[in-house]
Amino acid sequence: MTNEREQELIKRLQEAVINYKPADAKKAAEEAIAEGADAYKMTMEGLAGGMEVVSEKFDTHEYFVPETLLCAKALYAALDLLKPFIKVQEGTVRGQVVLGVMQGDVHDLGKNIIKAIFEASGWTVHDLGRDVPLKKFVEEQMKTDSDIVMLSAMMTTSMVGIKKLIPMIKEKNPKVKIMIGGAPITDKTVSEYGADVTADNAPNALKEAMKMLDALRKGKM
Amino acid sequence: MQHTIIFQPSGRRGQVEEGTTILEAARKIGVDIEAVCGELIVCGKCRVKIMEGKFQKEDITSSMGHLSELDEKEQKVLARKDAEEHIRLACCTKILGDVLVFVPEASRTGKQVVSKAAGKIKVKLKPAVRKYYVELPEPDLDDPLGDFERVEETLYKNNSKMKKLTIDYRALQKLPDVLRKSDWKVTVTVWNDAEIIRVEPGKVEHNIGLAVDIGTTSVAGYLTDLNTGDVIVTESMMNPQVRYGEDVMSRISYCMFNEETGLKELQDTIIEGLNTIVKQSTHKAGFAPDDISEMTLVCNTAMHHILLGINPEYMGVAPFTPALHHSVDIKAERFGIDILPAGNIHVLPIEAGFVGADNVGCLVADKPHKRKEMTLLIDIGTNGELVLGNKDKLISCSCATGPALEGAQIEFGMRAAPGAIERVKIDPKTLEATYKVIGNNKWSDGKVNMLAKGICGSAIIDVIAEMYRARILKKNGQINHDHASNRIRKNDKGLSEYVLAWRHETAIDADIVVNQKDVRAIQLAKGALYSGCLIMLRKLGIKKFDRLAVAGAFGSHIDKVAAMAIGMFPDCDLKKVEYIGNAAGDGARIALLSTDERRDANIIARKVEYVELALEEDFNDRFGEAMQFPHMFDKFPHLKGILLPEDVE
Repeated sequence: MTNEREQELIKRLQEAVINYKPADAKKAAEEAIAEGADAYKMTMEGLAGGMEVVSEKFDTHEYFVPETLLCAKALYAALDLLKPFIKVQEGTVRGQVVLGVMQGDVHDLGKNIIKAIFEASGWTVHDLGRDVPLKKFVEEQMKTDSDIVMLSAMMTTSMVGIKKLIPMIKEKNPKVKIMIGGAPITDKTVSEYGADVTADNAPNALKEAMKMLDALRKGKM
Repeated sequence: MQHTIIFQPSGRRGQVEEGTTILEAARKIGVDIEAVCGELIVCGKCRVKIMEGKFQKEDITSSMGHLSELDEKEQKVLARKDAEEHIRLACCTKILGDVLVFVPEASRTGKQVVSKAAGKIKVKLKPAVRKYYVELPEPDLDDPLGDFERVEETLYKNNSKMKKLTIDYRALQKLPDVLRKSDWKVTVTVWNDAEIIRVEPGKVEHNIGLAVDIGTTSVAGYLTDLNTGDVIVTESMMNPQVRYGEDVMSRISYCMFNEETGLKELQDTIIEGLNTIVKQSTHKAGFAPDDISEMTLVCNTAMHHILLGINPEYMGVAPFTPALHHSVDIKAERFGIDILPAGNIHVLPIEAGFVGADNVGCLVADKPHKRKEMTLLIDIGTNGELVLGNKDKLISCSCATGPALEGAQIEFGMRAAPGAIERVKIDPKTLEATYKVIGNNKWSDGKVNMLAKGICGSAIIDVIAEMYRARILKKNGQINHDHASNRIRKNDKGLSEYVLAWRHETAIDADIVVNQKDVRAIQLAKGALYSGCLIMLRKLGIKKFDRLAVAGAFGSHIDKVAAMAIGMFPDCDLKKVEYIGNAAGDGARIALLSTDERRDANIIARKVEYVELALEEDFNDRFGEAMQFPHMFDKFPHLKGILLPEDVE
């Protein structure tokens, strides 16, 4: 495949995500696979690259929740096709996260956007869904040895569970990082509940996760 | 150094420099506090209550310790009134840390406009409480029958239903004296044809009850003549629990975070509020609080649990199970509610965790279950509840609209009170705005100082609709900077905003603007309602409804064109939109007047099928689409000439 053709496909994937066109995304991904393009590059530069622009648009208030949801849809239309072709590349592997909505809470919109952005950026996401029993988070983290546990709560009433859960996770694995997010969560909640960080939107969550992962990896060396 | 100050019940918050007085902060933020003496620490009008503790929702720890010390002068003024805890004078108390300040009714200048006017109701009178005048044969040695049995016997002679009566303990204690002092001519109050709850000397005609609607934000009481069904006095107030949080969730979490005391505090607060309504309404009507022989109550499930002193924690999280569905009858005395101690408090039944007795009240009043046509009933309050169906089937759901539609969480949002902008028009060519302020009949002209202080719920919907119509807002809600108007700008933090009222038109020494975040808050709220409507329609397998009943005191103030133009509900013939007023309160009145209706209420409450929206597979998608103006795909043919052509067809 020529460099030019590769760039063209990347560009098409980007645009499909940015302009939320699932059909275009699917088509570009199919062509890429048929022509033997590097699926990892397509994902990272095409899909994740597009999602980066979406994040910027979200930050500048050009995009809001509906657009972001649609972009994520377009992204998955291509990602689902590309995923089986991604070869695990040494040194480029991103982290692993356990992700879920707290027990007693069924609002998973924010969580789904997070999942899309993380998956597009090459992270392995263990999505536990919504209304997740506390124990499940602990077990999943142990089972997968994930670097970060990400907890989402939309209601103040379900947020309370986080306070109980964090010591349960840290007791089993003190090194694991905890990110919390959702409407009622603030910086104060982070310090009071003993979490590591929060983020007010998905792009920021990704940035924070990268930082934590870097710190973790450096700590290991 | 800056500190956060939050004022309740208005919910306004801001950052102020250390050392600012509470009164200065109030002015800066646009909260009205009486200060008759001109801050000379003389009049004592500016009393405020400092809330103590952690307020999760507001994200603030408030304490008396975050204020300047009490000096002798202030102490003297405060001492003039009964000592109450945590009270300070706003004019001389300096802010040294984060505080949450509750401004009591008496210290507010602009009185809240709570309009929960009683609607017209149709009901066949069959109150639970009836009064019977009886003349008893005097006992003598030949007839030494006990006093209670004597009353019972006479009542039975007059009315065969009165069999096997019981008598309330307190009424019994008074019985022998009352009978003898009144020469054996008494009026007996009987509840549910079963229990004597009061015996009064002589002939008493009046028979009154109180129907109460406890809203998250306001409480309304209807003192009602049980003989005629007429409302004698309507008394309303802010829900005093507002100082513990503006919405249901924050109050539930207050109970959770303050395990030992939280629930009790909140319960005491609402009971104190109810007692105020009892006292004031009876006083106005020339009765004594004891004359109220029964009370009916509607409220949402959280308020219901808190009122009954039941831990609301479990209904606050999935699967949102309430402690019970059935209606509750409890004696006033056990509650500490100051009506007739033996009087009954009837709390209407509950449908689900987030569809409470207030919604049952709406059903009792509007009776969609007795109609052939399909009704979509929207009760807009701090939460939005929807009911759809007809005599064959009814389903309900709750939409997490949040308080944005009522003006909370909006930068310049305020409740409907003097100084609030209530109506807005924007010229689509010049993008100039003109508006009306509560308490002033004239529209603004851009020159005269309108003394505007903020924007109330009805105007928020107006202004968003007008901004969209004038293309100041794009379909996706983004503020459009392509226009050349000095009203569209970015603030110092880069946030886009539209200037609704210039500084010289306001009483707060600042421009009143609608910013991008405000628009987003409205999008979330109206998206929740609209997607709720769609999913409900789908659940019943129908495309359209025959009538749209809009309930809620706030709902009555909304302009239906504006509401449909922003996409709060699906397109329909505007003639089919019917405001049914404070239907929850009307339902409480109907229940007060008829035991048949109470029975019916218990049946409907269990018949309505509750739909948990968030569990619908495609809820997020439908919700997302409904966040756009008026909707991402749906068209609004009935708004031809009002909306842009591309949204109509």
